[in-house]
Amino acid sequence: MVEFVYSNAEKEVEAYGYDEVIKSHCRMCHGGCGVLIYKKEGKVDKIGGDPECPIAHGTLCPKGIASTQIAYHPDRLTHPVKRVGPKGSGQWERISWDEALDTIAEKINGYKADFGAESIVMGYGTGRDNEAVIYRFANLLGTPNVLTAGHLCYGPRISTSIITCGSNPVVDYENDPDCIMVWGNNLVIANSDEYKGESLAVCLEKGAKLIVVDPRMTRLAARADEWLQLRPGTDTALALGMLNYIIEEELHDKEFVEKYVHGWDEFVARCKEYPLEKVADITWLPVEQIKAAARMFAEADTAGIQWGVAIEQQVNCADNNRTLMALMAITGNLDRKGGQVLFETAKNRNASQFGAHKMLTKEQKDKRLGADRFRLAGHFAIQNPKCVWDAILTEEPYPVKMAFFISSNPVLTRANANEVYKALEALDFMAVADFFITPTAELADIVLPAATWLEMDHVADFWKRHGYILPRRKAIQVGECRSDHEMLNDLGKRVGQEEHWWDDFEGALDYILEPLEITFQDFKKMKFIRGEVNYEKYKEKGFSTPTGKVELYSTKLEEWGYDPLPKYVEPHESPISKPEMNDDYPFILVTGARSPGFFHTENRQLPWLREQHPEPFIEIHPDTASKLGIHNGDWVTIESPRGKVRQKAKIFEGIHPQVVGAQHAWWYPEKKKGNHGWADSNINILTDNSFESCDPAMGSTSVRTLLCNIYKEKTA
Amino acid sequence: MEMKNLALIIDHYACFGCLACEVACKQENGSDYGVKLIEMREDGPRMMNGKLDFTYIVNACLHAECEGTPCVDSCPDDTITVRPDGIVVMNEKTCTGCEACIPECPTDAIRINDNDMVTEKCNLCYHRVDKGLMPACADNVCLSHCIYFGEVDDIKKQIAAVEVKRTRGAA
Repeated sequence: MVEFVYSNAEKEVEAYGYDEVIKSHCRMCHGGCGVLIYKKEGKVDKIGGDPECPIAHGTLCPKGIASTQIAYHPDRLTHPVKRVGPKGSGQWERISWDEALDTIAEKINGYKADFGAESIVMGYGTGRDNEAVIYRFANLLGTPNVLTAGHLCYGPRISTSIITCGSNPVVDYENDPDCIMVWGNNLVIANSDEYKGESLAVCLEKGAKLIVVDPRMTRLAARADEWLQLRPGTDTALALGMLNYIIEEELHDKEFVEKYVHGWDEFVARCKEYPLEKVADITWLPVEQIKAAARMFAEADTAGIQWGVAIEQQVNCADNNRTLMALMAITGNLDRKGGQVLFETAKNRNASQFGAHKMLTKEQKDKRLGADRFRLAGHFAIQNPKCVWDAILTEEPYPVKMAFFISSNPVLTRANANEVYKALEALDFMAVADFFITPTAELADIVLPAATWLEMDHVADFWKRHGYILPRRKAIQVGECRSDHEMLNDLGKRVGQEEHWWDDFEGALDYILEPLEITFQDFKKMKFIRGEVNYEKYKEKGFSTPTGKVELYSTKLEEWGYDPLPKYVEPHESPISKPEMNDDYPFILVTGARSPGFFHTENRQLPWLREQHPEPFIEIHPDTASKLGIHNGDWVTIESPRGKVRQKAKIFEGIHPQVVGAQHAWWYPEKKKGNHGWADSNINILTDNSFESCDPAMGSTSVRTLLCNIYKEKTA
Repeated sequence: MEMKNLALIIDHYACFGCLACEVACKQENGSDYGVKLIEMREDGPRMMNGKLDFTYIVNACLHAECEGTPCVDSCPDDTITVRPDGIVVMNEKTCTGCEACIPECPTDAIRINDNDMVTEKCNLCYHRVDKGLMPACADNVCLSHCIYFGEVDDIKKQIAAVEVKRTRGAA
């Protein structure tokens, strides 16, 4: 590893004649990294890493560096607009902020009076640190319907970890785990949550053992001591097999399970249902390899599991997470230094308090769409999207008339995109806030110009689980763009919430920081604040669960009518569950592997990033490609019972011949017709959102694993 | 101390293909769409030494590490010169776009810009180096810390030390 050699910011200023350097915190993905913003003549000229950042230590990613290309993009929406043609026609007219917000407020007040607040859905995608603000607005309004990515991304980690061990366990990279098991994650290029790829890379360079569980070969998989190329969707079976083997071989931490685990005997009995021969059949993995990996993980002095979103986008979402937490727990790595820590946040007001969840009345909360069906999600204010689309299209159990999507592009990112599109077209009124007029925004009545992270002050990461808060400092103003936070602060006052908002959003930042007895102006002078760091807190306080123990037997899931113990369920569409589909759809399709420059639907209009990745591609094993007469770079049709799309063939030996890997969230900002080619390569045209295909507790859609057919595109 | 053999060396084993180096270069040098002065390429997955492997190769001019700098001799106009510190500089202003240097480069690191038909390559950010700054791609942007800038021999010693650490001293 290169010793940390930083260019001196002062020297940069001298060499380039910069007027100003602003320390801030990036937000181009779900994570956040410390940056230095170099300004000249009022504009951002360069973005560099901030060596003092405790998270990324001054390293950057393509998205962060390219932030300037969003901020100053010629197609950027820089003022509010209203649609003047049919939906999707691309005909817009400039309006003032007052007209935009007054119109939205008038619609909100009208629908609330006529149909109840629940007829208004607030939505966000992967948030821009705006999650708590949007929940606050919705809860004060009285609508329980906030449609986010939470059912299939991060929400499952938060909700399953809260019911299992009290909080989200984060790998303690700072204290060099001896073994890291990367499970369905590619942290080194992905849009990560707490820690970034740099921390993992440094641990590996210091000699940590590496196990990778992934159906695709990544560089991490190639470097791994053990790469477990499992059949897609069989993660829970693999984890239960590992657990069973660790228990049988008595490699577990006996003192820990005796004192701190709830339901150990029942859990052991369940694990026994997964002997390795059976698990090998399910997962396509050799018994010996599962043993080797389980032993390496269990025998390491300290070990952590780097988990990610892939395992959450499956029918086994909640149990995937719960079995991985079981692995952390029974090996004694939970809340252990160098293992997986339940970090304490700083003593600021947290996202849950700021989100004003207690302001929502029980009467309104009980109306949350889907909460009776997906009860784990419902208890964490998370929704399955189909429950909302159905209400829009059928007016059952009640009508949904309006949606307001903030940093969200559901026609690309939610399962069964044709249904999503139909539902959004059917809405009475829709508002969107975003950087560009996206395919979703094209269906809106009003689009508001959102500010990037460069254009706002904020207490960054205040909802995260690594225990840090860091100042985001406004560097520029672009056009009339406003942060989502400022626009809701303003809109709230136009719909009768005056007493709960502030003169401007800095008042909210002061409110978040108030328990620390500082203001945002004080915070701006600081580098960051970290919560107290303590390990093995359970020895004094237990775990924050109903029994005070790690609930491998979940009393909450039992209370909500689910199996309290984890079990493996075959994916809804697989060669085993749907053998009758085999002739028409012989391949297992995995979707959504990350590319470094894109953040879901974002960044395809940024030249530096699009150049790296001009077109979507589907990974096909060379043997499969050769049987189908497909060559590298051919356009390929990918088809499922829901529809078909096109992506380019990438011949890729790192995938099983029966599995193909397509990319997600593709649209073509440069295409002016056909709503920016929203349906051309959009893999969610193919994915299923039927309730049977979703995780029964979390409502997570199985966008990662389904059956498909592929063939060389027929030329017209 | 006078620097003699400056180069940019990538520890490819450590590279995770995050592409931050490419964009850091774009930000610094403003090269056009289609012209990458530093470029990441995938190698594999393919069988290497008896196992399926997958690495990334980050490609740029070798500078002081290049044997014989054949691009310099191939240029009819003295557009490419080697500085005393080992940095090989292409002067885009005097390039006529004859492309003679392109096939001579042992690492295929010279690009032709289709917009103005002038060749471009990594000049090791000499405009930064001369002011005591690191080349943009090596300025700590890389999350795997795999991009080294400095004297060739020093870098090789550093990489060897990492290799020992990485295996915790095991063979």
